[in-house]
Amino acid sequence: MAQQQMPDLSNAIVAQDEMGRPFIIVRDQGKKQRQHGLEATKAHILAARAVASIVKTSLGPRGLDKILVGPDGDITITNDGATILAQMDLDNEIAKLLVQLAQSQDDEIGDGTTGVVVLALALLDQAHELLDKGIHPLKIANGFDAACKIAVAQLDADADDILISEEARDSNLLKAARTSLGLKIVSKAHDHFAHMAVDAVLAVADLERKDVDFELIKMETKVGGSIEDLALIRGVLLDKEFSHPQMPKKATDCKIAILTCPFEPPKPKTKHKLDISSVEEFKVLQEYEQTKFREMISLVKDSGANVVACQWGFDDEANHLLLSSGLNAIRWIGGSELELLAIATNGHIVPRFEDLTPEKLGTAGVIRELEFGTTRDRMLVVEDCSNTRAVTCFIRGSNEMIVAEGVRALHDSICVVRNLVRDSRVVYGGGAAELLASLAVSAAADKQKGIDQYAFRAFSSALDQVPMVLAENSGLDPIETLSQLKLKQALEKCAHLGVDCLGKGTNDMKELFVIDPLIGKKQQLLLATQLTRMILKINDVIISGKDEY
Amino acid sequence: MAFNNQTPTIVVLKEGTDSSQGKGQILNNINACLAIQETLKPTLGPFGSDILIKSGNGRTTISNDGATILKLLDVVHPAAKMLVDISRAQDAEVGDGTTSVTILAGEFLKESKAFVEDGLSPHLIIKGLRKACDLAVNRIREIQVEIEKDDTSNFRNLLERCATTAMSSKLISNNSEFFTKMVVDAVLSLDEDLDESMIGIKKVPGGAMEDSLFVDGVAFKKTFSYAGFEQQPKKFDNPKILSLNVELELKAEKDNAEVRVQQVADFQDIVDAEWKIIFSKLEAISESGANIVLSKLPIGDLATQYFADRNIFCAGRVGAEDLDRVIKAVGGAIQSTVSSLTPEALGTCERFEEVQIGGERYNLFQGCPEAKTCTLVLRGGAEQVIAEVERSLHDAIMIVKRAVKHGSVVAGGGAIEMELSKYLREYSKTIAGKQQLVILAFARALEIIPRQLCENAGLDAIELLNILRSTHARGETWFGIDFQKEAVGNNMDNFIWEPSLVKINALQSATEAATLLLSVDQTIKNQDDQANGGRGQGAF
Repeated sequence: MAQQQMPDLSNAIVAQDEMGRPFIIVRDQGKKQRQHGLEATKAHILAARAVASIVKTSLGPRGLDKILVGPDGDITITNDGATILAQMDLDNEIAKLLVQLAQSQDDEIGDGTTGVVVLALALLDQAHELLDKGIHPLKIANGFDAACKIAVAQLDADADDILISEEARDSNLLKAARTSLGLKIVSKAHDHFAHMAVDAVLAVADLERKDVDFELIKMETKVGGSIEDLALIRGVLLDKEFSHPQMPKKATDCKIAILTCPFEPPKPKTKHKLDISSVEEFKVLQEYEQTKFREMISLVKDSGANVVACQWGFDDEANHLLLSSGLNAIRWIGGSELELLAIATNGHIVPRFEDLTPEKLGTAGVIRELEFGTTRDRMLVVEDCSNTRAVTCFIRGSNEMIVAEGVRALHDSICVVRNLVRDSRVVYGGGAAELLASLAVSAAADKQKGIDQYAFRAFSSALDQVPMVLAENSGLDPIETLSQLKLKQALEKCAHLGVDCLGKGTNDMKELFVIDPLIGKKQQLLLATQLTRMILKINDVIISGKDEY
Repeated sequence: MAFNNQTPTIVVLKEGTDSSQGKGQILNNINACLAIQETLKPTLGPFGSDILIKSGNGRTTISNDGATILKLLDVVHPAAKMLVDISRAQDAEVGDGTTSVTILAGEFLKESKAFVEDGLSPHLIIKGLRKACDLAVNRIREIQVEIEKDDTSNFRNLLERCATTAMSSKLISNNSEFFTKMVVDAVLSLDEDLDESMIGIKKVPGGAMEDSLFVDGVAFKKTFSYAGFEQQPKKFDNPKILSLNVELELKAEKDNAEVRVQQVADFQDIVDAEWKIIFSKLEAISESGANIVLSKLPIGDLATQYFADRNIFCAGRVGAEDLDRVIKAVGGAIQSTVSSLTPEALGTCERFEEVQIGGERYNLFQGCPEAKTCTLVLRGGAEQVIAEVERSLHDAIMIVKRAVKHGSVVAGGGAIEMELSKYLREYSKTIAGKQQLVILAFARALEIIPRQLCENAGLDAIELLNILRSTHARGETWFGIDFQKEAVGNNMDNFIWEPSLVKINALQSATEAATLLLSVDQTIKNQDDQANGGRGQGAF
């Protein structure tokens, strides 16, 4: 851009006519912002650094939480990287890319969202230094890619396969779940959460196909009580109560009729009209409605059902009739809950009363009403179902923020367990895996020709950042800790030495059983490297001005 | 400004109309195009960078695809818009080389600018450019290397190399091994007429790029489902698949119909009649023996539960494109009524499964007998990454498609441009007159491609170009820039191949655009209609 005579257009695409007047090529170019070349790349790195340094202090078991106040004044307290980033209303394009990075780690793996951002930041920082040395951005990116391949291969080679089976549920999976929970506010209820996560996943997992359907795990929350009061319900929890207050609060040996039709006289879907011209006709209509109600109730009764679960409502008259004929009823159940109920109780969803047959009923051992504190909040618990593959995690906590954080923590650990069910290979946490990869990459660095050497070394020091941040957050001296660990790993050829964040007195992560699923770690490396490449590749930014209309 | 400070005596054009003419106008237009070219230059080649564009509505695009960038730049200058159009035309015609075509056109204009300033008639320049272009195209046809289609493995190699070259400048270049296989598989799975709309591309955020999948059949995202869906089986071997264009919902059959109920007792009859309509449909479907029912229109909760009871999988509101691909893959035909279902209407495939991909559930139909279609499921760390991967794959797919149709290639990396440049230079010496100068200028302009490639990679363009010129003068036809060695090398042996058609088309469109711009010497632009809110109008 050589045009200096029009400073306000110096950023835009400008050409001049024969008189030297600039003229417009691109619409609204005066309003467009433009960044160009190396400047742009460096500006991006700075923007990314600003964002990532916010989540940096949240890494590790001693990581701190952030409080986020939304536009409506609602408060979130979390140390989950993806959540923090998602809640920050960012305007910078590169920062948004980081948010998506954390998000995609969350989608794919469900855990390690902070780690991936910290790693990406470290890579960008290193790239910044290399750019200052005058290395072409894409060559840096190529070097990083090659280094990433080596790191991933090293992790693959040194991963341990742990046993996953029904019997092993208390040992390996539990410990892995505990590692992921170590970072969260709920860490005092460690065991409860870990057990719950493992039990929930194993209940719904198809170990043969290695498929875990999350739709079958439901999370319900209720403010009140302590965080330790959480419970795994092998069945369904409905945020409903029995339709009539006089119905018994507990039903046993339930046969459940699951209905998607209302307790109402049937109505055609086509628009219809009934003219009532005399009192007699009106009486006939009323009678018709009465008989319909009786007919419906008797159909339900005849099928052998003693509980009615209905997607729609029913009016007071039907409610009364249900009570008097000894049927417990639940109304206004949402579609997905109804579905879960059907799956859990092996029942069929019945679209109309005429189709009710004994085979279509679902069975559950107990349906009981739970009452909470003094608020008269009630929930229904359906337990001892014939199909155990639907579970509900019920989380309590003293305030909404804790409950919400509890849900996130549980989600993370469920994801970890799920990943282990999918792929049972693990690497060790506490920065051990990063150190391992870092050593491998720096060993490979000297064998590279040309500029890749620099990129490899930079990649290796970027990997070192993770244990360093861990150490820093745990109140240890980062440099000292890192150098000691590196020495130990190199000398002992031992892949499971990491930062002793909790002061347990040993660095052997295998002993402490701090493990991470291999796929999660690999994903972090790959995603962070790809994002770095993308940012390095951009050298021109054109931002349209805000539309005034 | 409109009348250059003279008092108009006769008003021909409406007040405010911008008109300019003459030599100045030509130069003006050329300058505008050069500004556009300047923007695109850094994106060329394997070391080309990307451009991040944030549009007025806040959408962010990161791309180095010439056509995409130009489209998003929102160019209003009429002459510069011409460049946008040729890049688009190149995109539509061959799908790749959109950046090169713009850069070439810009360079032709830049070379012509000196002639215009010197007072050479634009028509002579145009004639010269056309002549040079014809010569260049003929030369490509002479030296292009034909690949035998009969030799399957060789042919496949050819396609993979072309795809690799097309991807080399994109974000995915480091994973090109993985993606070339994907692209070539995809194109080869199509039937004769190579309709690329039969290659489905699905984007699932999350995961790394390597997690992308190639499905030899159809994949689509789980559609909206009603209660009861989870009770349906999610996996079939050799299922029978029925595709419908029928709504399976309990609802009013006719929208505006109204029923007059005479007697209370009639209520039940009407209700029953309505149920009967839907149940007869459902029965017909289940009797046909189908295991999987797909419909373009909604499948309601009643039908979902009915199918769940009978171990049938169903999906309503399947996108029209997806359903078309399903039909292509599994056979059968889309039925718009269920009253006469014949066994021929049902398709089949080896496996059907609903699987978790990232955060979403997908329906996969694999091992299809007809297999005239396939689906690429793309993954990536951010939406923009996936969008760029998609564009890159689209380019590669188009290139492979072209290569399948015309099995002749030339070497990339600036090799073919250098060769043409040498050829034209030599030719120009054989003719006399002004044409000599123009053809020589054309030859010079062609060198922009290798020069820009070097500049983007941070190589010494002047030195490498000199080496290239001398090697080509020695008769080494296929020498171009070798980025691995940062020197020159035989790009035919290095397998940097491009279909010759891409180059021919790029040359022709660039020349046409350049000649068109040169022949314009007056622009009359109507003033924006202020009453209509102004700004939006003038550009179109």
